[in-house]
Amino acid sequence: MTGILLDVSEQFLNGLMYGCFYALIGGGFTILFGVMRKLNLAYGSTIMAGAYLSLIPFYLFDAPIWVVVLSSVAGAMGVGVLVELCCFRFLRKGHELAPLMTTIGMLIVIDETIVFATNAAGLQYPSPFGEESLAWGPFLIRRDYVAILLTGLLCFTLIFAFIHRTRLGRAMRAVAERPEAAQILGVRISRINGLTFALTSALAGLIGFLAAASIGSARPELAVWLTGKGLVVMVLGGLGSLPGAILGGLILGVLEFEAMWFLGATYRDIVAFGILFVILVVRPTGLLGARAG
Amino acid sequence: MDYYIAIASIIGIHALLGLSVYLVAISGQMSFGQQGFFAIGAYLAGMGTALWGLPLLPSLLLGALLAGIMGFLVGFPALRVRGFYLAIATYGFGEIVRLVFLNIRNTREIGGRVVGPNGAEGFRHVRYVFDHGLTGLQYLGIIVAVLTAVSALFYWLDRSKLGARLRAVEEDEVAAAMVGINVTRVKVLAFTAAGAVAGLSGGLFIHYSSYIDHDMVALPLAIASITYPILGGLGSFAGPILGAALLVSLTEGLRALHELRMFVYGGLIIVTMIVRPRGIIDDALALRIRRWVSARARPREIRTP
Repeated sequence: MTGILLDVSEQFLNGLMYGCFYALIGGGFTILFGVMRKLNLAYGSTIMAGAYLSLIPFYLFDAPIWVVVLSSVAGAMGVGVLVELCCFRFLRKGHELAPLMTTIGMLIVIDETIVFATNAAGLQYPSPFGEESLAWGPFLIRRDYVAILLTGLLCFTLIFAFIHRTRLGRAMRAVAERPEAAQILGVRISRINGLTFALTSALAGLIGFLAAASIGSARPELAVWLTGKGLVVMVLGGLGSLPGAILGGLILGVLEFEAMWFLGATYRDIVAFGILFVILVVRPTGLLGARAG
Repeated sequence: MDYYIAIASIIGIHALLGLSVYLVAISGQMSFGQQGFFAIGAYLAGMGTALWGLPLLPSLLLGALLAGIMGFLVGFPALRVRGFYLAIATYGFGEIVRLVFLNIRNTREIGGRVVGPNGAEGFRHVRYVFDHGLTGLQYLGIIVAVLTAVSALFYWLDRSKLGARLRAVEEDEVAAAMVGINVTRVKVLAFTAAGAVAGLSGGLFIHYSSYIDHDMVALPLAIASITYPILGGLGSFAGPILGAALLVSLTEGLRALHELRMFVYGGLIIVTMIVRPRGIIDDALALRIRRWVSARARPREIRTP
């Protein structure tokens, strides 16, 4: 009995830590959707593009790990600019499906660029986390999970501080709530949109580093997997609600880890999409979402 | 020649899948999970001929029937969600179907071969077409016949009261309900029929390729299926067919470019959406074609009261 209890709580801890990773992805989707009211399906590809671009200084100059992290952030921001330019800038207003399709087009283009440049083979990614786990009481905890937890805490603290304590953050929230009213009060919407893109792309760079470093390799198929998880988390929490995305990420992490432990690895994604479907049917606006879609 | 027959067959099968997405779209809903119904239709139709020894047509209909029933069952919960939520919920459904087929095993040994859904191995040896000596051209004939029959239904739908009801629900649900349209019934009906069409497409596919696995009904097929109607145009049923014909022949025709063809594919989607956000055959063009056709059909006469 205590054995099961120990297993459950260990997986709960793991899930909670890994859930921070899901929360970060969902957070990126959510901030962008909250401010611009547009879904960026190329976000998962932006994340992977950052991770792959950060390999350039690593392979060429054997760069230290902090350079890899920074170049992942810079690379993702560069790709983010490209996505904004190709997918959003020149679209006519009033067509809900158009940005969805352009970002899908961008997803294909970015993924194919990665496949083309690397021959679809996974590349080894530098990991600063090491192999052995940390012992904490009766539990064994992976180091990369601790890093994910710390990064999540740091990022969300910074993001919340930014959007609640600074002028720009307030302008961002204003645009998210009522773009027209914000514009009347002198907020330049295009600038806020650009800022939002820069912020979420920088976040994508961090996520890309964590994702690749945690498994020790960069693989092109991760982009689609990341997109799927990000969408689940975003919808779970309620479109556009950042606290909802965090909660959704943690719940998804915990449920997946319990399912993996007790049912087997193939059930991980069934559980993820199953709870997504059920939550949407029972509570269509997500856990913390106020508005209907 | 065989090469062109193969391309035409794939176009026909994908056009049906595009029509399925189109049918949901013109009732104002966005499904990103029609590949799930495609998979259900494929697996069941394949089991029909390969495991139970049924002829082709009943097997196809059986697959379409089960996919339609699943569409009906998905249609009800889908009533509660809209827009992006619905797209993502249906994608969740599609992924669940895919992952279930990844885990399902129901095999039997027939003639020294292991036949039936076999987990990650997929469903191999659906040999009905080979065993009955059908040539590629004859099977293409079957595909074209099915596509024509379904298109005829859509042609009628575009001109019927039911079609008008679907479009009314797309335009404005509240207003549609105000004039006495049963919104629930229209939406669930659209999902049911769309499920059946996607199932039919899947059944045709497995007998064409003799093989399907879970990877073939993953995200790329979902993307392709919604790209056909959105790129081809939501104004008329010809839109998704045009979209499928364009994109399939483009990806096949650019095979010489190897990896680069997917750049072109992605780039084409982006450019089309910037230039024509409602697709190539959008509502305005569809109306112009319809007027042009009807003006040709009967000479204009001046009516006097």
